[in-house]
Amino acid sequence: MERSKPYPQLIASGIASGILYVLLYLYEREVMEAFTRTDGWYPALPVLAAPVFSFAHGVFTASFWEVLGVKGRTK
Amino acid sequence: MDPSASQFIDLQAGNVLALLAIGFVGGLVSGFIGSGGAFVLTPAMMSMGVPGIVAVATNLCHKFPKALVGAYQRNKYGHVDVKLGLVMAASAAVGVWVGADIQHQIKESFGEPGSNLYVSLAFVIVLTVVGGYVLHDAIAVYRSGRSDEQDRVSRLARWVQSVEIPGTMMHFRTANVRVSALFTLPLGFATGLLASAIAVGGFIGVPGMMYVLGVTGLVASATELVIAFVMGFGGTIKYALHGLVDIRLAMILLAGSLFGIQLGVIGTTYVRPFMIKVVMAAIMLIVAVSRGLAVPVYLTELGSLDLAPRTMAQLHTASFAFLVLALCTGGIIIIAAMLRGHRLGAVPLKEPAPE
Repeated sequence: MERSKPYPQLIASGIASGILYVLLYLYEREVMEAFTRTDGWYPALPVLAAPVFSFAHGVFTASFWEVLGVKGRTK
Repeated sequence: MDPSASQFIDLQAGNVLALLAIGFVGGLVSGFIGSGGAFVLTPAMMSMGVPGIVAVATNLCHKFPKALVGAYQRNKYGHVDVKLGLVMAASAAVGVWVGADIQHQIKESFGEPGSNLYVSLAFVIVLTVVGGYVLHDAIAVYRSGRSDEQDRVSRLARWVQSVEIPGTMMHFRTANVRVSALFTLPLGFATGLLASAIAVGGFIGVPGMMYVLGVTGLVASATELVIAFVMGFGGTIKYALHGLVDIRLAMILLAGSLFGIQLGVIGTTYVRPFMIKVVMAAIMLIVAVSRGLAVPVYLTELGSLDLAPRTMAQLHTASFAFLVLALCTGGIIIIAAMLRGHRLGAVPLKEPAPE
């Protein structure tokens, strides 16, 4: 039986990913200032932010292709 | 070292759209051949005016979470040898660390044109040599009429697999090879060293695993994603300590490339094994030409050549045109191969189960 398409996942992750990108756009100057500082724990910011974006957006893109019916063959 | 504001470009809508598009195709290529998106992304960012070192740092930052997503996906299709990936990555991490220092010292001594020249020369040399060899092999497989078969094991790999060094032998199950760690160590180190310079260690890692260790193209390209994750992670920390990561560019690239990488991963389940080599060779050689055209420009900036401003502008344009050509070529070959595989429906979809 064919699995139902992951619309709820697509919408939830799409909203999460969208919020992250909108925040990055709105606070561009502040983010760039903080993320390029070399003192204290500031260098950890880009290292931590990348997986957060990747998780939200990765779930979104995976659901996107699945909803479109594009998936790998496993057998 | 504190970054100066001039290191980070003003983002225009056109740049954002271009980054999304090249991120997508770069991701498509990475998902398909294990690495390689970055060799398009670094020069593309440099073409927009991003300094070489910031382009490399930013590329590494977008790459490690992307590689993790790709490795996870390809593991579902049984392509990833996690143990081989981690063993290679351990020595690659040392290579990245050493390479980042070299890169940093070049920038301190010769300034930005020196750093750009180093990155471009590394591109031209590695892409020409390795790309030429991979193309030669792909043509040989095609001419032999055995393009449906899994890869043959090279003579060098057969010798490497036959060498028994007590206490150093390792068995890699998914890759189905047993080799001495003394062979994987230098291979991993070279992969890392290259990654730190041009953000694409895979151009040593993937052909190295294929031709030196005897791993098939499918497993090598998937395992490279594990190495890419570890190297990208280590490299990002190193460059972030110098404040060189442009998080805006990295996240825009990620936005496009996550769409691409998942499509590329799906693509590997539809194509003949030798197609990975064809795509890899085609893109590597075209990008080599693109970067080769930029070398005289950087030499002029360093005062070693005397080119007219108009000639420099023409070279710059031609370099970018070849980059776009490489991108389109890779994307078209992958999509066409996927469609063909989907239509034929009779190609092997998974590696044979290891014994």
